[in-house]
Amino acid sequence: MKKINDLEQLAKKYRRDLFEKFLLIKQGHPGSIFSMMEIVVSLYHGGFVRFDNEKKSFLDKVLISKGHATAALYPILKDFGVLPLEEWDNWGHKKSLLRVFGNNSIPGIDITSGSLGHCVGAGAGMAIHYKRNKKDTNVFVIISEGELYEGSTWEALLFAKHNNLDNLNIIIDINSLIILGTTKDCLNLDPIKNKIEGLGIQTLEVDGHNLNNLISTLQSLNKITGPKCIVAKTIKGKGSSIMENKKHWHYWNSMSEEEIEKTRKELK
Amino acid sequence: MLQRDAFIEEITKELEKDKSIYFLSADFGAAALDDLRKKFPNNFLHCGISEQAMLDIASGLALEGNKVFVYAMAPFISLRSIEQTKCGAGLMNLPICILSVGIGFGYADAGPTHYSTEDFACFRSIIGTTIYTPSDVTQTKFVANEILKKPKFSYVRLDRDFLPEINPKTTLVDFKKGYKIFGDKDDKKIALISHGKMIHKCLELFNKNPKKFICVDIFRSKPFPEDLPKEISMCKGLVVVDEQGPSGNLSSCIFEGFSNQSYYPKIVSQSLPEKYVFENGGREYLLNKFGLSTNDILNAAKKIV
Repeated sequence: MKKINDLEQLAKKYRRDLFEKFLLIKQGHPGSIFSMMEIVVSLYHGGFVRFDNEKKSFLDKVLISKGHATAALYPILKDFGVLPLEEWDNWGHKKSLLRVFGNNSIPGIDITSGSLGHCVGAGAGMAIHYKRNKKDTNVFVIISEGELYEGSTWEALLFAKHNNLDNLNIIIDINSLIILGTTKDCLNLDPIKNKIEGLGIQTLEVDGHNLNNLISTLQSLNKITGPKCIVAKTIKGKGSSIMENKKHWHYWNSMSEEEIEKTRKELK
Repeated sequence: MLQRDAFIEEITKELEKDKSIYFLSADFGAAALDDLRKKFPNNFLHCGISEQAMLDIASGLALEGNKVFVYAMAPFISLRSIEQTKCGAGLMNLPICILSVGIGFGYADAGPTHYSTEDFACFRSIIGTTIYTPSDVTQTKFVANEILKKPKFSYVRLDRDFLPEINPKTTLVDFKKGYKIFGDKDDKKIALISHGKMIHKCLELFNKNPKKFICVDIFRSKPFPEDLPKEISMCKGLVVVDEQGPSGNLSSCIFEGFSNQSYYPKIVSQSLPEKYVFENGGREYLLNKFGLSTNDILNAAKKIV
């Protein structure tokens, strides 16, 4: 596993790389992508999503349920050699497989997502397949807190618990913002940890930008029986003072030259 | 035998040799399902009364290479979880078969929450669906075996009630075409077209008056059977009978299928009215009261001049 400092630098680099792509394509969801950058860096570069170097493919599954943020994986998949370099390079310039929302025709993307509330169920389906076939594959599902408004998420959590899906790991990116404002003001979800634990699913809290904290929490998962949940407190638009905690930065917004330069400096 | 038992029996037989089949239920049963669960508990999943999660779980299983059957009462497995169906089986073209039991007024007298009178229109609109509405057990078994042999995104509309066998029996050759024609075609006859329970009423009229009618049982309505328009285009007109609401029912399907091949026959749609039905009295009573008696079908045929 890479050192924590290296992981931190990777998270910054990926934010920079993605920011340049946002500038090119003039669309995307930087707020939601930047909030989960350390989470996906810790999963892939922390070795929790195991990689078969010979086959150039991952042994575990990652479902980005908040499909508007799937692009967070593209630079990681490129670095592992799963996503062809030319697809990344072409994105924003000419024909490329890459899209703002991910889909499973993109190498390394395990599911087509975008509509919220689907992937805890899909992940549970994958997890029960592996469990019943006695395979050690882990399934990681990253959802936004907004997906806790979807009834299907809770239906699937019940299923996961009932079937004791040890190989299902759910990470909730709690950046506290939805399109119209804070979740607390719009329709309060708190206390999220208590609600999930009420289903009998052990739930751990973590600072979603602290790689030390993330790595140690992910390491502790294998001591827990049944499905696991990590509630990761994050900042929407993390890394850019223009975007941080701004609800309108759910989507891409046009930026002045000064704002662009300021953001580039902050992301270094 | 009920259609649902016939279908599940075929799955149970296949499970003897293929363990990649999963059968998911949203708390909906059948005599044959008791047997499947007993013999193959590892291939059955109770998903709770949670149609939406069931379709998502099905997507996960199908993405891992399994053949997945999801099973529930028609009104709920069709409309309640339709977005999950679109995003999973539809967008990713997954081999998920949706078994929908109790189409039309099948759940008389439960009332309109339990009637499935919109499912055909809704599922036709989902890209990539194959839609079957078998009219008896023979056809149901053909559907089951076709899907087991070549799993695909499919929507199978089963009747809640016992339906008698179509006579003469549907052959595999008929089945592959997607429809079966009863009677000799000519330009003086009107074609009565339907599927499922309502084809039996149409056949009753045809058998009484074979000089006036032919009958077409269209058990696979999507993809549309491409040979059908040419085969019956000489008819004086078409009466399309469907135990569905007036929008997007089988008559829309027939119109689109024919017009896509530049055939424009006279078509009369005989369906349920644009209203929710709260009356009780049993399915026949409801069908007779709301536009689907044999007399209603005869009167519809009179509109073709």
